[in-house]
Amino acid sequence: MPSAMFDKILIANRGEIALRIVRACREMGIASVAVHSTADADAMHVRMADEAICIGPPPSLESYLNMAAIIAACEITGAQAIHPGYGFLSENANFAQVIEDHGLIFIGPSAEHIRTMGDKITARTTMSTLGVPCVPGSDGSLPDLETAQQLAAEFGYPVMIKAAAGGGGRGMKVAHTPAQMAQAFTSARAEAKAAFGDDAVYIEKYLDKPRHIEVQVFGDGKGGAIHLGERDCSLQRRHQKVLEEAPAPHITPAQRAHIGQICADAVGRLGYSGAGTIEFLYDGGAFYFIEMNTRIQVEHPITEAIFGVDLVREQIRIAAGLPFSFAQDDLRLAGHAIEVRINAEKLPDFTPCPGKITQYHAPGGLGVRMDSALYDGYVVPPFYDSLIGKLIVHGHDRAQALARLHRALGELIVDGVDSTIPLFRALLQSPDIQAGDYSIHWLENWLAERQTQES
Amino acid sequence: MTSKPHEPDVSFIRALGELMEEHQLIEVKFTREYGKDNRLSIHLSRRGSASLVSEADAKPATAPSAPAPAPPAQPTPASTGQPLPADSAPDSTDPARHPGAVLSPMVGTAYLQAEAGARPFVEVGLQVREGDTLLILEAMKTMNHIPSPRAGTVKRILVENESSVEYGTPLMIIE
Repeated sequence: MPSAMFDKILIANRGEIALRIVRACREMGIASVAVHSTADADAMHVRMADEAICIGPPPSLESYLNMAAIIAACEITGAQAIHPGYGFLSENANFAQVIEDHGLIFIGPSAEHIRTMGDKITARTTMSTLGVPCVPGSDGSLPDLETAQQLAAEFGYPVMIKAAAGGGGRGMKVAHTPAQMAQAFTSARAEAKAAFGDDAVYIEKYLDKPRHIEVQVFGDGKGGAIHLGERDCSLQRRHQKVLEEAPAPHITPAQRAHIGQICADAVGRLGYSGAGTIEFLYDGGAFYFIEMNTRIQVEHPITEAIFGVDLVREQIRIAAGLPFSFAQDDLRLAGHAIEVRINAEKLPDFTPCPGKITQYHAPGGLGVRMDSALYDGYVVPPFYDSLIGKLIVHGHDRAQALARLHRALGELIVDGVDSTIPLFRALLQSPDIQAGDYSIHWLENWLAERQTQES
Repeated sequence: MTSKPHEPDVSFIRALGELMEEHQLIEVKFTREYGKDNRLSIHLSRRGSASLVSEADAKPATAPSAPAPAPPAQPTPASTGQPLPADSAPDSTDPARHPGAVLSPMVGTAYLQAEAGARPFVEVGLQVREGDTLLILEAMKTMNHIPSPRAGTVKRILVENESSVEYGTPLMIIE
């Protein structure tokens, strides 16, 4: 592993995250190489990087997912390391392996760790062994009602009986009390038999109104690890995060320190290297592991805001074999940060809306950060993700962050395409959002209610 | 010692300039080798038309009496394989838009010959068949033979040996 900083890094991504990485490189005195498809020849990341290489036609499969072209671009530019950003090849174990085989450095964890966390069952088993709490459930199918009742008493009600062969909500029954157990067990079995031809069922703790809370971790690849608190990403639509905040509302410093330590210990024992996010469902005061993301996340800037650190810089340092630039005890959580994702989508159906940006004006002022690759006259291509910008605000407390978000949304102008900006203006009026009272189901319910009211 | 040893060259270049102006030429490539078989190769491009190529064995008829040093070399094309940029050249002179252009299908390093010292796969003026190897592109330590997409004559070679090319870089013009 090298311990000298890289001279040149290739960025295997596009849009705001590519620009984010170019900026980190420039501040570190590292030359950056942008790669791009023919559709992105005029993109901001191409303009801002020190060098740019066209790697293929518009479809991602032939450009941003084209490993051979990206490696060849490293070869002809002399880049020593590749930053994958998020999405595209960022969690592709094969890509990490190919990079290593070519004597280059992947800015991220080892191929083995990506593979482990990429498989949900292996990830859960691994994390459970390392002491990370998971949703309690029966390890196999339930032989009879008595076993189901025993386990339910152990996990605590409510519980869910699920078809082992199931999916899509069929063969799933919830028991809120012991009295409902017999009925739930029998009907789940019957439904499972009817739907899947197999009456095997298993039991799991049922989370009624969980929040999505994730812990930011970093490993140094040598057993050292730190955590940077949590983010609440419960506001989701079709499993896509819409608004994130850090710290999570209603999580106490003691809870933060506790779950953070569990995560850091697990990552350290894995020998994990680089940035990672351990995602949990949080319900009734307890955390339940869902999955681990082995990359930088879209919403990383809110963690940067409250801790005053540069996570991309840290990723690059660790990949170069350098130690952390801060210790766990150096990290002081200050204030509250919120990010909203500005997508080129038309409300209320969130239909993608590519096209020409006729006017773009980014908000500014104290505690406001706009990460976007937009500019006046830029054409949002129809081939990629609809994320066109992230507005991040930071205040000394949650109330100030909300007021600042309101103010910044008022300054932001994105003309020419429809965007999700009006959604956030409306969300800020909601008493639940103002109070921080929401679960992973809240946004979809709220959107459905609004549509009913309007029609 | 002659006080102005470059005078013949200067007047040659001046004459070339006048010639370009007169015939609306935007690019001139001129190579002369003195030796047993004096070789003269000229490549001319006129604004808005396909390039004109002439190649001939010739006694240097217009050259000054003494074997003068070869005219100053043209600046070599940039490493990206882009052609010499003509100031405010209209789109029709952009080789990538030329109907006979062969564009690079991948990122890599271009080799015009199979190995150092070997004959190039093709030369300007050569007739090629569809599928004939035009050059090799090395990507990820793999040598990829790039076939000619059509039968025709190699009109221009737009990349230099061992230069880097991107996806979509114009490599040659074959028509």
